[in-house]
Amino acid sequence: MSNHQQLTDSSKNKSILKILEPIGRNLGLTLFAMFALFPLVWMVICAFKSDAQMYNTVFVFQPTLENFRAVLIGTDYFKAFFQNLVVAGGAVIITVIAGVPCAYALARYNFKKKEDVAFQILSFKFAPEIMVILPIFLIFQKVGLYDTFFGLIWVYQLITMPLLIWVVRGYFEDISVEVEQAAQLDGYTWYEVFFKTLVPLIKPGMVAAALLAFIFAWNSFTFPLILSGFKIQTITITALRYIASDTVHYGQVAVASTIAVLPEVIVALFIQKHLVRGLSFGAVKG
Amino acid sequence: MAQIELENITKQFGDVKALNNVNLTVRDNEFFVLFGPAGAGKTTLLKTIAGAEFPEKGLVRVGGEIVNHVESKDRNVSMVFENYALYPNLSVFDNIASPMRSRLYKKDEEFIKTAVDKVTKMMKINHLLERKPSQLSNGQRQRVALGRCLVRTPNVFLMDEPLAHLDAKLRHFMRGELKEMQTSINSTTIYVTHDYMEAMSLADRIAVLNHGEIIQIGTAQEMYYTPCNEFVARLFGEPEINILEGKMYIEADDIYFKVLNQDVLLHPAQDTIEALRDAGTNSIHIGMRGNDMQFAFEKPGDEWMEGTVYANEPIGNKVIMTVLIADKKISLTCPNDTVAEMDQKVYVKFNMINAIYFNGETKEFITRNNMSRYTAKKEG
Repeated sequence: MSNHQQLTDSSKNKSILKILEPIGRNLGLTLFAMFALFPLVWMVICAFKSDAQMYNTVFVFQPTLENFRAVLIGTDYFKAFFQNLVVAGGAVIITVIAGVPCAYALARYNFKKKEDVAFQILSFKFAPEIMVILPIFLIFQKVGLYDTFFGLIWVYQLITMPLLIWVVRGYFEDISVEVEQAAQLDGYTWYEVFFKTLVPLIKPGMVAAALLAFIFAWNSFTFPLILSGFKIQTITITALRYIASDTVHYGQVAVASTIAVLPEVIVALFIQKHLVRGLSFGAVKG
Repeated sequence: MAQIELENITKQFGDVKALNNVNLTVRDNEFFVLFGPAGAGKTTLLKTIAGAEFPEKGLVRVGGEIVNHVESKDRNVSMVFENYALYPNLSVFDNIASPMRSRLYKKDEEFIKTAVDKVTKMMKINHLLERKPSQLSNGQRQRVALGRCLVRTPNVFLMDEPLAHLDAKLRHFMRGELKEMQTSINSTTIYVTHDYMEAMSLADRIAVLNHGEIIQIGTAQEMYYTPCNEFVARLFGEPEINILEGKMYIEADDIYFKVLNQDVLLHPAQDTIEALRDAGTNSIHIGMRGNDMQFAFEKPGDEWMEGTVYANEPIGNKVIMTVLIADKKISLTCPNDTVAEMDQKVYVKFNMINAIYFNGETKEFITRNNMSRYTAKKEG
C-alpha cells in the first residue's frame, strides 16, 4: 500500500515537473529577451515622446508624431539614409566581388608569405579607426577623394573585407580540391565550376559575412565623420545634428536611430536561415 | 577509347618527388591496374593523366596527342576520386547526371534519365536518388562516385580505389561488374588499388609503384610467379611470401643452400642451377609461398626442419600457421581442419621446385623453376 502510494507520489512529482519545466524555461527566456530587447524598446518609446515629457514619464505619456515630423520632413534625413545605403551597399558589393576570389586564392594556392598576407588582412581590423584616420584624411584631400562616394566605399573595405575574407576562406578550405577537379572532368569551365559548384557551398558563409559587413559599414561613424560631411552625409553623422548646442533632442535622435536600424533588422530577418548556419563552420562537409 | 602514354613524367610536391621519371604505356581497351603501398604516387599518376595535376617534366599522351597543356575538361576522361568528391549540394541523381549536363558533354534530359537509371540499378543505389551525399554511408557515396564516372563514354576511365569502402560482399560483386563492363564497352581503364586480389583479378596488366617509380609492369601471373624483386614478391599473395636468407654452396656438380642455421640442405631445381651459378654472390634469398611448404607434427625424415607453432589463424577456407624456425617467422597455408597448439613442435619441408631466388645483396630476382613458361607468356 505504502509502496503504491510512493509510486503515485513520485509519478505525480514527475508530472508536476513536466509542467513546470517548460514554464520555467519560457519564463527565463522571456526575461532574457526583455533584457536584451529593452534598449530597442526604450528607443522606440522615446521616439514617441515629446521633449517636455522626456524626463518625467516612463511608460505613460502622450504619444506624439512631432519627432517624426521634425526629422523626416524638417531635415534631409532621407537623403542621408539613401547615401548611407549607397555607401554601405556599395562597400559590401565590392567586398564580395573582390573578397571571394581573394579568399579562394588564400585557401587554394601556395605562394610565398601566404599566411603573412592573410594575417595582414585580418590585422586591418585590429587598429582603431581613429589611428589611421588622419593620414587617410590628408591623402584623401590631396587626391580628391575627400567627400566622395568612391572614397568612402574604398575606405570602408577596411571594415568589411577582412571579415568576409576570413569567413569565406574557411569555407573554401572545407571544400576538397577533388570536388573542383571532378567538376572540371565533368566538362565544366572554370567559371562554371566556380558559380555552379563552389558558390552554392560557400553561400551560407558568404551571406552571413556580407550581412555582418553591411551592418559594420552601415553603422560606421569615424570614417564618414572625418572623410565626408558636405556633399555626402551618412545616417550616423546626421543623427549627431539633433544634439543641438542648447539642448539634446532625444526624441529626434531616437527617431533617427529607429529608422536607421530598420534596414539591418529587415535584412537580418530575411537571411536569418543563412546567418545561423553561416557562422558555424564546417557545414559543407559531405 | 584511347591509348595512354606517359613519357619521363616527373612530379614534385615541394622537396618530395611524387613521381620520378615514370614511363608507361596503357594500351587501347586495356584494364590497367596501378598497384603499390600508400604514398607510392598512384593517385598523383592518375591525376596527371586526368589533368588535375601538371607534371614538371615529361609528356602525357592520350590517343597519340600530347595533352600536357590541354585542360582536364577537354581531355574527355572520367575519374572516380578516392574521397568521392561528390557535390554536397546536389542530390544523388544530379550528381550522377552532372557530366551529362555540362555544355561539353550535353545530353537531353530523357537520355540522362535512362542513363542514370541504368547505372544506379547496376550500383544498387536506385532507391537513393533523391538523397544528398551527406545522407549516405561511405559505401553508398563511393557507388555514387563510381556511377558518375561510368555514365560517360570517355577516352579513359580513371578509378582511384573505387571499391575500397564497400563491404566485402559488395566489393566482390562490383569487381565482377567492372570486369564485365570493361569487356562489353571496350574502354581503357586505369585502376588504382592497394588490394592485391583486386589487382590480380581485374588487371590485364599491373604496374607496381613505389616511391614514385615504376618497379615492374606485367600480368598478374608474372607478378606472382616472377616478381622482379623482393618488394614486388611481398606485395602479392596472402600470407606474405617468406623470404629466407640462405647461403649458397657451389660444388663441382652440385649446388645447395643452407637456411635459418639449419643443417638441412636444400637443393634447387635442375633448370635454375645455371642462373644461380652466374648470380655472382652466394648470399641468396629464397622466396617461398605459404602453400609451397609441407608440414607435419611427427618428424617424417631428415630433410624436414623443426620449428614451433607461433600462431594458427583459421580464415575460413584455409588456416594460416606461423611457424618459428630459428627466430624467423614462416607463414604456411594449411588445410582448413588444421589444429595446432601454441609452441607445439612442427616439421616443415620446403618445396624447392616453386622457390623464387633473389640476389641477397641487391634483392633482385635471379631465377625460378620453369622460367620458360612465364617468359613465353610474357612475349605472347
